[in-house]
Amino acid sequence: MFINWAQQEITLKIVYYGPGLSGKTTNLHYIYNNINPSLRSDLITLNTQEDRTLFFDFLQLEFGKILGKKPRFNLYTVPGQVYYKQSRKIILSGVDGIVFVADSQVERMDDNLDTLLDLEKNLISIGRTLKSFPLVLQFNKWDLHNIHDPDTLQERLNFYQVPCFKSVATEGVGVFETLKAIINQVINQIH
Amino acid sequence: MNLGHGGNGQSIVLSGEMYKSISEVLSELSSKTRARTIIFSDMNGHPITQRGTSADINISNMSALAAGGFSATAEIAKLIGEKKQFKFIFHEGDNHNVYFSNVGDNFLLIIIFNSQTALGMIRIYTKRAIDALNDLIYNAKDDVQQAAQFVDIDFNKYLNEELDKAFKF
Repeated sequence: MFINWAQQEITLKIVYYGPGLSGKTTNLHYIYNNINPSLRSDLITLNTQEDRTLFFDFLQLEFGKILGKKPRFNLYTVPGQVYYKQSRKIILSGVDGIVFVADSQVERMDDNLDTLLDLEKNLISIGRTLKSFPLVLQFNKWDLHNIHDPDTLQERLNFYQVPCFKSVATEGVGVFETLKAIINQVINQIH
Repeated sequence: MNLGHGGNGQSIVLSGEMYKSISEVLSELSSKTRARTIIFSDMNGHPITQRGTSADINISNMSALAAGGFSATAEIAKLIGEKKQFKFIFHEGDNHNVYFSNVGDNFLLIIIFNSQTALGMIRIYTKRAIDALNDLIYNAKDDVQQAAQFVDIDFNKYLNEELDKAFKF
């Protein structure tokens, strides 16, 4: 969080975390393409030659003055591939809220769990923990056939009973609901 | 004032007085170097203030990329056994150069200047500016203006109305 009293600005950092190919970048693309362009920055994507996230994606949202204050939300994704562990740690620096994008497919459960563990380790290394951190879960790829039922996903991934949303990020289902939920959690955390 | 915890996941709260002092240091640096653009940002990629011509540069994007790049090179420094992060990073282009330097552990100074400008001159004046900024940060007194006081209880309600409009719920 960054607060500039002179300019009456508050900037908050939200990171989309999750295993590779779970749909983190797709969330940002949908937001970018479906929000009034005057409210958002350009979308920065740092990709590999195979079009996978190499370092991060970045999108800033700015909603004008609210009660005289100017809120900004910096949305980042992390690279999901196991190989880029160090990059994920760097991107978590200064994070105010996390959206964990899980892949609902049965065969990806272990990847979801490994990545949640990786997230918890990285948060602990900056003196935080998932238990007391603004967090929203998104169960993505809800349109596919070979997916876990909601109860299984809840039981195995939602350790701290945080808000969770079923989504189809490619079509925008659940994308804005997820973003609104994490923004609310982050703002509530300030009080 | 709370300027000491930006690099480890905590908050940075910048008072009006500190913002003015930092802006003055940047103005001085801008007039001495005639750099095209100077940006003071935190290590998390939040731009704080800038000087010079910035109309054609997206400051938020520049700060986010610079912070990411600087953090990545700090990890490279660790890998090769350096005890501290690199003092600066320099990118040389055909028309413009960019000089990045950390200010303490939590802040970053980004200077974009014409490739005809001498790098030595940029380095000398930037070092002076960094010393001045470090003094300001080191001597900052605790400020009672904390984050909770910045947003009042109704803020969330009005923000949600704006979000609903923006997302066309």
